[in-house]
Amino acid sequence: MNTAHTRGLTTVLAVTRLTLRKTFFARRSLWVYLLAFAPLFLFTAHTFLAPRDETRLTKIAAENRVSSKALASIRLGARIEDVVNKLGEPYQRHDRQRRIEGGPGNDGKLIDRATLRYTDGKLDVAFRFTDRVLDSVNRKSPGTLADDTLIFATVFQLYFLRLAVFFGCVGIFTNLFRGEMLDKSLHFFLLTPMRRETLLLGKFLSGLIATIVIFTLSAALQYLVVLARYDRAAVTEFMAAQGWSHLRDYAGVTALACVAYGSVFLGAGLFFKNPIIPAAVVLVWEAANVFVPITLKKLGIIYYLQSLCPVVATPDIDMPAILKLLISDAPPVSAFGALLSLGTITVLLILAACFRARQLEINYGTD
Amino acid sequence: MNDDRVIFDNVSRFYGEVLGVNRVTLNIAPGITSLVGPNGSGKTTLMNLMAGLVHPSRGSISVLGIRPTEPHKLFGVLGYSTQFDSFPRGMTGFEFVCSFLSLYGFSSAQSKKLADESIGRVRLGEAANRKIAGYSKGMRQRIRLAQSIAHDPRVLVLDEPLNGLDPLVRAETLSLFRQYAAQGRHVFVSSHILHEVDVISDRVILLNSGYVMAEGSIQGVRGELQDLPTQVLVRCDRPTDLASKVFAQNLVVEARILTDRSGLVIKTNEPDRLYRAINHAVMEGLEVLSVAPVDDDVNSVYGYLIGSEGSTR
Repeated sequence: MNTAHTRGLTTVLAVTRLTLRKTFFARRSLWVYLLAFAPLFLFTAHTFLAPRDETRLTKIAAENRVSSKALASIRLGARIEDVVNKLGEPYQRHDRQRRIEGGPGNDGKLIDRATLRYTDGKLDVAFRFTDRVLDSVNRKSPGTLADDTLIFATVFQLYFLRLAVFFGCVGIFTNLFRGEMLDKSLHFFLLTPMRRETLLLGKFLSGLIATIVIFTLSAALQYLVVLARYDRAAVTEFMAAQGWSHLRDYAGVTALACVAYGSVFLGAGLFFKNPIIPAAVVLVWEAANVFVPITLKKLGIIYYLQSLCPVVATPDIDMPAILKLLISDAPPVSAFGALLSLGTITVLLILAACFRARQLEINYGTD
Repeated sequence: MNDDRVIFDNVSRFYGEVLGVNRVTLNIAPGITSLVGPNGSGKTTLMNLMAGLVHPSRGSISVLGIRPTEPHKLFGVLGYSTQFDSFPRGMTGFEFVCSFLSLYGFSSAQSKKLADESIGRVRLGEAANRKIAGYSKGMRQRIRLAQSIAHDPRVLVLDEPLNGLDPLVRAETLSLFRQYAAQGRHVFVSSHILHEVDVISDRVILLNSGYVMAEGSIQGVRGELQDLPTQVLVRCDRPTDLASKVFAQNLVVEARILTDRSGLVIKTNEPDRLYRAINHAVMEGLEVLSVAPVDDDVNSVYGYLIGSEGSTR
């Protein structure tokens, strides 16, 4: 490496060092931590509450056990009498009446609602009836290790990648330049002997370090917390078989999401005075990724990230329809293809951002 | 040789439809150069252009042979203390100067040494380890100055550097500028009060509304101002006829018919002869509604800049 390259690298690291403290500890970054660690709180709560649930269900099942097969045979539209005939008396029943507005005045239609709860010792199933007809079923399970890792995969793809990492990158990367313009302190960087590209890379690196540390740490902790309530031998076996490689993959996908979304929002912070508008556009585009033809899917970052996830999130039968839609049913692209595409998107966006950085002017009055 | 000069070659800068500076051509030798003009005259724009913080809409700039689009070269030789009174949050004066020196490629030990020296030169040593947020306006001004001189630049650009300084510090600061200039360096200082800087200036550039009105030594500038043409607005029924008449008598530097054709603006070096010619035209049947100097700008701006001490008109 020649002297110029060494000097450039030293300067990139100096910019990163100068920006990093601000990126990690800025007041406006607080909500990024909340987004990142919210699922960790939920999984931790699940880890503590699930064993209590298991004990409760086992106790109930000892007195009111129904078979898993019988529970699975109940279909929507069944009448309450038929369900009771088939499964016997529930371990818990709740009846109530509700008046539905039928027009002007106090006249309305009275409807009967009932909830019947059964358990086979593993699943806690709630059948909900309206006017004695079954209209919804809610299955709750304290879970198995396989169930919980699948839940983790679903949360990871539906919430963590699409919302937490996405908005975290919006918050951190758009502020690398735009935030300094609002604070009127960007000119101090522009008045030092470095190319604008060097400044951009230094700031991008500081954003990457912050987001990767925050989000991969959160993802890894979530994964480990999910496993924490299971028997040590079972966990050791699971980790040796697939757990460690899954954990590595989740961490890698999280880091790649930070790189790709980071480059998008670094550019947004440079090209737009109000980066929330491009962020909203990208959010809509990423959400619409599941509906568009495969050719257009390839223009979305989420498609490649989901392709790299180690577990395919499968829609649960009780999952709300709107969430089911967010689970991509497109054939995943190969790992190499996904990496190459994400790399290409990132490089193109960084090049565009470099071009913009060279033209950047300090005009705080209008920013 | 242009390698020791700062050159503006026909530089214009527009902010949308607003004029920043227009057709500025300057070739500046080392020494203290003062940019003087009222608020909005283009002083800061000219400095920002020199430092590459804004780019020219037209023309080119060279600082010691380096273009402002090459910041990696430019800021090795140029230090700029801007007018922006804002700092990175939470830093002490020492941390501020020292941390930005690290971007110059200095080692940590070198940065600390240079920061110490420059803070000492602006007499801020005792407050160096206090948070900038607690500094007075004058102290903030001085810490910016310390940051701009810390890497020992050959060109020092200082936007209103005397604002907020008490008389003693002001005298020390002016003395610092003299020392720099005596070493063959450029020192650019902006001010909206001419007599504040004319005693130390080797060269003065008078700016108004984005135009360089006069440039040179202070004595030369005073003379140049007196030679500038006067603008007269004449509202009349046949502006084209009047324009032909005054052009024929060679009284006009420039004449511009108003877009609604209700009159014309005449630029002249001989206002007295112009007024006589207008009177003559009235006697020949031209209907004149009014005759008035457009803005009397040279006189008013000069008077404003010079203040009560130096008025020569």
